[in-house]
Parts: sequence; C-alpha cells; structure tokens
Amino acid sequence: MLMAAAAVLIGATAAQAADTLVVYSAGPKPLSGALAEGFTKQTGVKVDLFQSTSGKVMARYEAEKANPQVDVIISAAWGHAINLDADGDLLAYTSPNAAKVPGWLKTDTYVAQGAAALAIAYNTTAGIKPPAEWSDLTKPEYKDLVTMPDPSKSGSALTLVQGLTAQYGDKAWNMFADLNANGMILPGANNAALNPVLQGAKAVVFGAVNYIVLGQKAKGEKIEVVFPASGTVLAPRPIMITKSSQHADLAKKFVDYVLSEEGQKLVAGRLILPARTDIKALRPGFDELKIIEVDYVQAAKDAEATRARFKANTGS
Amino acid sequence: MSTLPLDADKAVAAPAVTARPPSLTGPIRIGLALFSTIALIVIVGFPVLAIVLYAIFPNINEGSFTAPFSEFFPNFARPDLIGATINSIVMASSVVAVSAVIAVPMAFLRSRVGVVAGRIWDAAFLIPFLVPPYIGALAGMMLLQRNGYVERILGFNLDGFLYSFADLVAVMALNLFPLMYFATSRVFAMIGRRYGDVAKVFGASFGRAFFRIYVPLCLPALLSSGLLVFVLTIEEFGTPAILGTRFGFEVIVTAIHDKVSDWPIDLAGASTLSFLLIVIAFFAFIAHERMSKRVAVEVETASLGQSSDKLPPVLAVLTQAAFGVVFFLAIFLPVASIIIAAFTARLSGGLALENFTFANIAHLVDTDGAAIRAIGTSLSLAIGAAVVTGIIGLVTAFVLVRMKIRGAGALDFLALLPNSVPGMAVAVGLILAWNQAFWPVTPYNTVLILLVAYSCLMLPYPIRMISTALKQIPKSVDEAAYISGANELSVIWRVVLPIVAPSALAAGFIVFAISTRELVTSIMLAPPGVETVSTYVFNQFDQGSVNSGMAMSLLAIAASAIVIAVGQGAQGRK
Repeated sequence: MLMAAAAVLIGATAAQAADTLVVYSAGPKPLSGALAEGFTKQTGVKVDLFQSTSGKVMARYEAEKANPQVDVIISAAWGHAINLDADGDLLAYTSPNAAKVPGWLKTDTYVAQGAAALAIAYNTTAGIKPPAEWSDLTKPEYKDLVTMPDPSKSGSALTLVQGLTAQYGDKAWNMFADLNANGMILPGANNAALNPVLQGAKAVVFGAVNYIVLGQKAKGEKIEVVFPASGTVLAPRPIMITKSSQHADLAKKFVDYVLSEEGQKLVAGRLILPARTDIKALRPGFDELKIIEVDYVQAAKDAEATRARFKANTGS
Repeated sequence: MSTLPLDADKAVAAPAVTARPPSLTGPIRIGLALFSTIALIVIVGFPVLAIVLYAIFPNINEGSFTAPFSEFFPNFARPDLIGATINSIVMASSVVAVSAVIAVPMAFLRSRVGVVAGRIWDAAFLIPFLVPPYIGALAGMMLLQRNGYVERILGFNLDGFLYSFADLVAVMALNLFPLMYFATSRVFAMIGRRYGDVAKVFGASFGRAFFRIYVPLCLPALLSSGLLVFVLTIEEFGTPAILGTRFGFEVIVTAIHDKVSDWPIDLAGASTLSFLLIVIAFFAFIAHERMSKRVAVEVETASLGQSSDKLPPVLAVLTQAAFGVVFFLAIFLPVASIIIAAFTARLSGGLALENFTFANIAHLVDTDGAAIRAIGTSLSLAIGAAVVTGIIGLVTAFVLVRMKIRGAGALDFLALLPNSVPGMAVAVGLILAWNQAFWPVTPYNTVLILLVAYSCLMLPYPIRMISTALKQIPKSVDEAAYISGANELSVIWRVVLPIVAPSALAAGFIVFAISTRELVTSIMLAPPGVETVSTYVFNQFDQGSVNSGMAMSLLAIAASAIVIAVGQGAQGRK
C-alpha cells in the first residue's frame, strides 16, 4: 500500500512539473470552469483550477507563500488586489485586450474581469410594496423584514457602505442606524443574507450582489432587483498574475483570454457586468446604472474604520 | 487509583503496573511505541507545531523567523476576546451536559431493546455524523423560521427559539450526543448486567442500582467521550456561525474564521487564537485526567454476551418510544428538511405541489459526472481514513493503556489536539508543514493530503474509544496470554482486538461518517481539480443553488448510510 501511495505521489509531482497553469478563482464555479476550459481549448495548455470563495483563495495563497503554487488569481474583492499589490506580490502586465476596460477598473498589475453591482432585492410573494430607494427600507412597512450582508464578512457590502457614506455623508450613516432600529439583520455573507429572503423568512435584501439574484430570478425564483436612482456601487472582480509565477507567459495569455471577446462573453453569460464596455451586458449595463464612483485604494485604507463605525451605528 | 468493591469475592485489586516476562518482547514493545509515536508526530504533531510556530513567527509562511511574538500579544488584547472565550466555554460545557443527559439513559437502555432493534438504532444514530453541522443548522432554520416548513404545514413558527442559546446548544447536542451514546453503550454492553443483577438480589432499588452501579461504571467512558464533545464544540464553526450571529453570540472560532476569510487575511492571528483553543483543550484534558483517576474502575470479568432477560411489555414499548423521540428530533426532522429542500425547485416556491421536482437529483446524476466523482472521492477517502486511524488508534491505545510508557500523557494529549483546533487552522498548519521545497516527496497538492488531513482530524475518535474500552478489560486477560508465551503483537491481534472490536468498529464508522462530509480542510486542501462531497455542496451554496446543494448532501448521506448499513450487517453476521 505504501508503494502504491508513493507511486501516486511521484506521478502527481511529475504532472505538476509539466506546463500547466495554476489558477485560483472565486466563484461562480460555472464561470471559472468555463474560462479554464475555453483557454485550454484555445491554447492546449492545461489549467489546474482551485475554486473557492475569495477569502479561501487568499488564505491558501498566504499559507503557500513558502513555496508558491499559483500563477493567476481571480478574486471577487478588489481589496485583495490592492493588498497584494501593496505587498509587491503582483506581476506588472497590461493586456492588449484591456484597452476597452474603463481606466478606473485597471492598474499596471491588476484589471477587472467583470463587476457586480449592488442592489435591493425583494421577494415578490412577500406582499410588500416594492422598495425603490435604499432609504425606503427604514420605513415601518419593512419592519423586521430586511437583511443585509455583513460588511465585515462581505467585501461588496463594505464597498456599498463606503460608497453611500462617501456620497451622502451623515445622512447615510443615520440611515444605517435607522435600518438597525427597523429590525434589519446582518446574518452573514451574501448568500446568508439572500436565502432567508428567498425562503420567505424575510422580504428584502439591502445590498444584494446583483448577478446572484438575477441568476436566481432566471431560475424562476420569485425575486426582483431594484437599482436605486440615488446610485449604487460596483464591486469589481480583479484578475492578477503573481510575481512568483513560474509560468508568467502562460499566465499573461490567460489574462488575455479572460479579457478577449470570447472570455468576456462568458463573464456576461453569468449576468456579471463584463469589464469591457464594448461587450454587451445581459443585464443593466454601465450606461443604465447610476454608479457612485469609489476611490477603492482609499476605501481599502479606511476599511477598518468604516467597519467599526458601521458596527457602532448598527449596534452589531 | 481507587477501585469499587463490586462483588464481594471478586473485589478488584489490580496493581497499577503489572509484572510480565520482560525478556521476550522488548523489541516488539519498542517497535509499537515507536510506531504510534512517529505516526502521531507526523500526522498530528507536524501541523500543530506549524500552527504554534506561526503564532509566534508571523512571517514563517514566507520561510522567515523574523518579528517573533509581534502578533502574539496584540491578538490577546482584543476587548471582545474575553467574552468570546467565556461564550465558547459555557457553550461547550452546556453541550456536554445536554449530550450526557440524552446519551446515558439511552446507552443504558440500549442493552434492553433487543439485539436487532439495538443494531438498527445504532445504525440510525450514526446518521447525525453524516449530516454536516452547518447543513443541520440550515435545515433547522428552513424548518422553524418564519414561513418555514413547519409554519407552512402546521401554521406556527419557532423563530424566537431558533436564534437562542438554548436552540444553539440543542442543535449541537443532538448532533454530538451519539459520541457519548456509543462510548457508554459499549461499556454497558461489556460489563453486562451481572453487577446490576447482584444489586437487585441484595435488594437495591432500580434508581440506587443505576446511580451507584451503572453510572460509576460508565463514568470513564462518559468523561472521555465528554472531553471529545467538549473540544469538538469549542472547535465547531458552522452552527455558531449560522445561528449564533443572529443573536450576537460570538465564540473564539468565529473570530478565527473571520481572520482567515475576511480581508485582510491574517493567518498568524488565526494561529494565535487557535493557540488559545489549544490551551483551553489542555485544561479540559487535565481536568479529565484528574477526574478519571478518581473514578477509574476495573471490571474483573467482562461479560460479552448479550443479556437475555426481557423488559416487561409496557417498559419495552416506552423504551422504544424514548428512542423514537430522540430519533425524531435528532435525525428525522433535519433529514426531512433536507429531503424537502432537495426536492423543491425554488426556494421561494414553498411547499406547493408545483414546486416539487426531481431535477435537483437528476441534475447531479446526469450532468458531467462531477457529483458522482465527488461522492466516489469522499467515500474512498473516508474508508481510507477509517482504516488508517483504526490501525494507528489500536496500537496507540495499546501503548497508552497497557504499556504505560514514559510520556504517555503527552502522547494522549497530542492525540486529542486535532479536535480542539479549528479545521481551518489545521488546514493552514498542514499547508505550512507539507508545502515546503525541502521535502523530496509530499502529499500536498495530491489527493493524499486529504487523507492526511482526515486522519489527523479523526485520530482522536479511535484512540479515545479504543483506549476507553481497553481500560475496562481486566489485565488478567492479556496476562494469561503472556504467561502462555504470547508476545505483544499476538496479544493485540488475538486477545485485545477481538475484545475491543465493537469499540473499534464503532470508531471506524464514526471516522468514516465524519470524513464523508468534512468541509473545512477539504475546501482549503483539495488539490486543483479534485472535488469532495462537501466542496461540491459548498460551491453549490456559494453560487446560490441551495436546493441543489441539499440534493447533493442527501445523495451523499444516502450513499454513506448504505456503506454503514452494509458494514453493520456484516458485523451482525459475524
């Protein structure tokens, strides 16, 4: 048995040494799977895909630092890229395919694969008046019916708090206090906030990640998305190459592929806003949303303070 | 060591260290001690050492020993940590108490429900191990919340109870009590009825016999399994994260998990807080050692046969009913909730007939085979883990209980550690230990790392359960074998193994069951391209397909249950 185990080990080590690209990606899984498959089909290069949540991807990256394994990281949190960039962990690369990506969604070392917009989502069977604005949810008719992803567990919810408070200042902070007084709960990350609403235990999500909800709606769930006219924020999803990559050329090709027309169409297919403005979004696009621009680098620096103030305002 | 004079002419007077022919078996004894020590150090010691080093040297993940202790003390200065620590300890103690209240009477009644019914109940009470705690908690929520299944059927909800300390403890106890049930029922089976019968003959009432004879006899097993339940509860993440956050109940593990999953990732901080759990586990272990020294009991004659006398019909019915109630709460309700979710098309569709679908299950079976492959991977890894930990557990238990080597206490504590450290930290420790360029070969980045991880996490079960059983077997049995010229190996193989087989098998089934659904280390350690049941379910949840995730859980629970049923059946035929 030991012999067999050793044989498996050696075989596996040998396979690793061959020209395969190692990609760590945040969900949704069908998207990362399709991107890996499409890339292999186009280039013949095998992709070893580790697929998890952004947090687990980063934890694995950190733990492996003594002997780095990963070439390309796709996260759902822009802050992760800012952090790695500040540590000098990223390889500088600007893909020719990034020309049509808006300037604020790319840097020398990382670029958006796509972006999610934050929205209000409500259960259409809950018998409530459809909300139109963030502040509507402080009204008595939504008492004890609202959930929100916890900004300390969901990067996108944190971005929303930062965007709204940067734009509307104390008015926004007071709104969070009022939401808390109105019985809003923070049950966890994005899905933990959405599921009670789908199941009818609650009725409205404040700050749902829209592509997840739109996907649910496409599957026939009784859920509707509202983009408030006062504006919302985008949560861009960075793709980046590690400086420790042993396959930098392949990694660059992979980034090119993700930003190619084909790759961006796959992104759009999951109802995520594609990073390239010339690729049609299968959902409300850049031109249909009022987007509050966020200084993401500054926001990353302020993250701790924002969370603390949010906690204080919501008594959580 | 104090002993109980259980029977006038068979008073136990076993000396602590027994003389045996030393000449014959020296090399074998050394070999056995070395085997268990090396196995424990490689499987458990390496990752735990890595965690401790990481807590001290925050840059060790980059291979650097700079800035020692720079993360260590600041992490303990958190104002909320004291509250979280108290919460963890109070929660774990409550879960142990509630589990014992459920488990002991059932274990006692187990020998009276009849051979066949007993085996069926035993198989049934393995099911909670198959249900991942976070799935159980989610299932409970779907059942009891506002507009949940109960409200849709019966018209009321238990939303208030659902997010309370009482419910948190109840959910975890209903998930973990089988550990205490299996440990103590094995002891009851081993000591048989004779001591109770003696008490009856001498006119003791039932209550007196129960509390003066049976409870003391099963105390070692109760304490040992209670220790397991305690450390498992302080380590458990899913249930407190899902239920506890809703009423602001913070425990240490949720703080650790935040450090590992929230930006900025702080693995050194997570290791530091894990160190706190190791310290708590250490004190629990010391308390356990003290208490078990005080209650150590040796039984002179183990009666291994099933007791023959029957309960009066009324009591027999009541006994079955009591088992039925526990079954209903601990197994039927959560599994029913999972089944409902697995067969509904939409979360927002409720229990309407038009919302019924086979699509979730069909989708798992027909698509690209990923789901079936994941089940195959999980089942084979779980069987592997059961075999590996069973062998190491048997030898280690023998070394710990019978050979009394120096440092046995340290070995024993080491064997408990994986259960007290959160899975996330174990995973980080395993990456640090095995993802190093200096290893000529490493299991990391192959599927074998999962076998190492499961073996590490599961070793405490066989070691504790087998050594508990071994403590109940009179030494005179192995001494008889030694006198007849047997060496340690043949004593283990021919004498010890057959006697502890029920405990070893029970432990093996538990290891198997828990391995089939282990989530946290699987997520972190699965090499690219390998999926297990739990990572598959997790990815389904992550992309919002709750019902599809529940369907996968159900399929995996069914597949594992079949394996266990076959195993139990084989055991019955023997």
